[in-house]
Amino acid sequence: MSRVVHYLNQFFAGLGGENAASTPPGVKPGPVGPGRKLQELLGTDHEIVATVYCGDDLAAASPEAMAAVLELVMQARPDIVLAGPASTSGRYGVACARVAAGAARAGIAAVASMHPENPGLDDAGAAVVIASGASVREMGASLERLAAAARKRLAGEAVTEADGRIGKVPRKNVLVDRNAASRAVDLLLARLQGKDAPAEVPIPHFDHVTPAPPVPDPAKATIALVTESGLVPVGNPGRLESARATRWLRYPIEGKATAAAGEYASVHGGYSTVWANQDPNRLLPLDVARELEREGAIGVLHGEYLVTTGNGTTVPNARRFGVEWAAELRRAGITAAILTAT
Amino acid sequence: MLCNLVSIAERVGAVRIVATRGIPYPTGDPSLPPAEERAWRRALVERALKAIATAVTGPTQF
Amino acid sequence: MRSEGSAPGTGSVLRLLSHRVTAVALGPTTRYDEGTLSVSAAAACAALASDAIADFRVSWVSPGDSARIVKVLDVVEPRTKGRGGAGIFPGFLGLPAVEGTGETHVLRGVAVIAAGFLPRAQEAVIDMSGPGAALTPFGATHNLVVEFTPAEGASWESVDIAVRLGVLKVAALLAEAALGAPPDDVVTLPAIPHLRASGLPRVGAITNLQTQGTFKDIFVHGKSFGRAAPTLIDPNQLHDGAVVSGQFGHPALKNPTYVHQNHPVVAELRRRDGKDLEFAGLILAPEPVEAEQKERVSKQAAELCAAANFEGVVITKEGGGNADADISLKMDALTEFGIGSVGLFAEMAGAEGTAPSLVVPPERSTALISTGNYDEVVRLPAVARAYGGATVDVAGAPATAEMDLPTAVLYCSLSPLGAGRLTCREAA
Repeated sequence: MSRVVHYLNQFFAGLGGENAASTPPGVKPGPVGPGRKLQELLGTDHEIVATVYCGDDLAAASPEAMAAVLELVMQARPDIVLAGPASTSGRYGVACARVAAGAARAGIAAVASMHPENPGLDDAGAAVVIASGASVREMGASLERLAAAARKRLAGEAVTEADGRIGKVPRKNVLVDRNAASRAVDLLLARLQGKDAPAEVPIPHFDHVTPAPPVPDPAKATIALVTESGLVPVGNPGRLESARATRWLRYPIEGKATAAAGEYASVHGGYSTVWANQDPNRLLPLDVARELEREGAIGVLHGEYLVTTGNGTTVPNARRFGVEWAAELRRAGITAAILTAT
Repeated sequence: MLCNLVSIAERVGAVRIVATRGIPYPTGDPSLPPAEERAWRRALVERALKAIATAVTGPTQF
Repeated sequence: MRSEGSAPGTGSVLRLLSHRVTAVALGPTTRYDEGTLSVSAAAACAALASDAIADFRVSWVSPGDSARIVKVLDVVEPRTKGRGGAGIFPGFLGLPAVEGTGETHVLRGVAVIAAGFLPRAQEAVIDMSGPGAALTPFGATHNLVVEFTPAEGASWESVDIAVRLGVLKVAALLAEAALGAPPDDVVTLPAIPHLRASGLPRVGAITNLQTQGTFKDIFVHGKSFGRAAPTLIDPNQLHDGAVVSGQFGHPALKNPTYVHQNHPVVAELRRRDGKDLEFAGLILAPEPVEAEQKERVSKQAAELCAAANFEGVVITKEGGGNADADISLKMDALTEFGIGSVGLFAEMAGAEGTAPSLVVPPERSTALISTGNYDEVVRLPAVARAYGGATVDVAGAPATAEMDLPTAVLYCSLSPLGAGRLTCREAA
């Protein structure tokens, strides 16, 4: 009988939504929320003995909170740690990845579940990550895959792409029969013959962003405010999506001294907008930017701001928005932008 | 870029990064009284202006 | 086997006479008798003696011993061309000269290892038993460890020079003991002809040498190879010690003199010469520290490969990420000439093996061989005795203690010249 510890965020642990995103780490006995379905899928040989939870904001941004989470996980003496499914939720994905990574570091099998585009994917260290669906609608299928991967891990079997494995697979040192010199000559001869022989080192791919040259004197420049916070005029006249945005919008700020509460609100579904709606300058720093413009630290503040919702945005869409924003701003003679991200 | 999860920003290639105090309020800090929060916001934007005026070769935190 | 003079300009031939050593001891005289090498500590220390050194101590460690050598500097295989050296290690034991012909005697299964503190030297460990032993070539050789105490007031540079020269002298002296013995093995190595028409692919090697100045330098014919131009050299010269290492950084990624003497890429290309390739030659190149110099040297090396009619090149390095640039730039430069290449790289994939493997891969090639992950941690057991120093500073532990070390610290474990069998594979 294996002991399973399940990690969930505050929402799936039944403690509240975004308003509870700062819930401190805690533990409940047995399976909770989606953990119940997960337990069914795992069968009787594996028991979810505890469910550890934490508010997404704390888990993603506070190392102390994550340490406390891992402490609670270890106290339950797991044979395996399962985290998520986190779908496209970035903070939850980061938290699941780090819980799984921490367990793996301590020598315990760990599987996290999240969507392949979740930014947390790269934080999972040596833990296995299994692809989940994009939303709660696919929870059933996501849990099935997670349970299947957990059973394989516990049986000592390899979990591969066919099982839905995503993210980095750890590379391990191994002694082979032939020395590197001889393997090198083999690879060279094969390649000279035009064969597609496999190399031994994967070429890494970084999104290399060539830095724009600096703006030597912001006091002479036109600077734009742009944001992925989903801040739009109250009522959302442009129908900006709360998640998986397919578009971006622009709104005038010419002559406005501040982003006033009651005039703007955020439609972003990925974080609690309470604080932002109290004072939208917390998303778009219009008040201080206008002040700096008046004092001459900024030459001119561009008369519009650009906005999208950065919540489960697909990478191709996000790239496209970036390219379009750059083109748009350059057309207007703007040489620098301040991007606020949530 | 003003954001809270700096390591992700670096990983995806953002080149000029200023760390904020919370995910839901990149240019805010609700734990401060309003006047102090606004002063803090101004200092943050000033740091962003400094970053804009600085040459960098790769992801750099200001 | 090709016979001498089979093509124009190939009068030179080297005969390597190998003598196997199966047991070692310290004794009243230095002698080699039916596989047993006995060394007179007094004679060895007399050969080592220098004003810069207050005293030298020599000890044997053998495969399987519960022993560890720390602060490893260079390792040299005992070889000589005759009494007094007769040309071995040119530029050190004799005049700088082009050797690589005639006869050279080799003691197989033995190494002379210098160990002790020098500035800029990074902590380097060799274990003679346990998991560490399989990760270095010197876990399988009988090693004469040379420890030293600098003389008061001696500069570190002079200590370095004295230790290097001393170790080369002792290496020659040990091989001399076998001069009268019938060899266990004789190999004839003709020079590489540069004009052949076998129709097989012409494959050469580029060996990048880490030439970064004092304590981090490589010598060719006794002279630093820093600032040298890429040079086509008869690989037989390496058998006679043309390349000597004075480089003490990056222990896992270093090529000690021993490995240059037994150049694994050259050995492999010779082994397959006439079978599935034509061994086209060897080029030595420095690894400059400035980007524009790296590019200049890389382009020149590519031009030299084209001039020597290489169709494919095996490129190796010494050192870490900085040196990766020297391989990658050459691989990319060679594509301009339509010349294929393969590079031997070590990975820096982090302790968990999930970080990007390389920071400076080639832009126009994917033919990369992995010599293992630098960052993977190995647990070494406690040992009975240690040489070279009392502590392993990177582990904060006494040299004989159990310790966890990244593979990076194990001497020659990621052999950039390709001597090792370590590589990286994806975990389950």
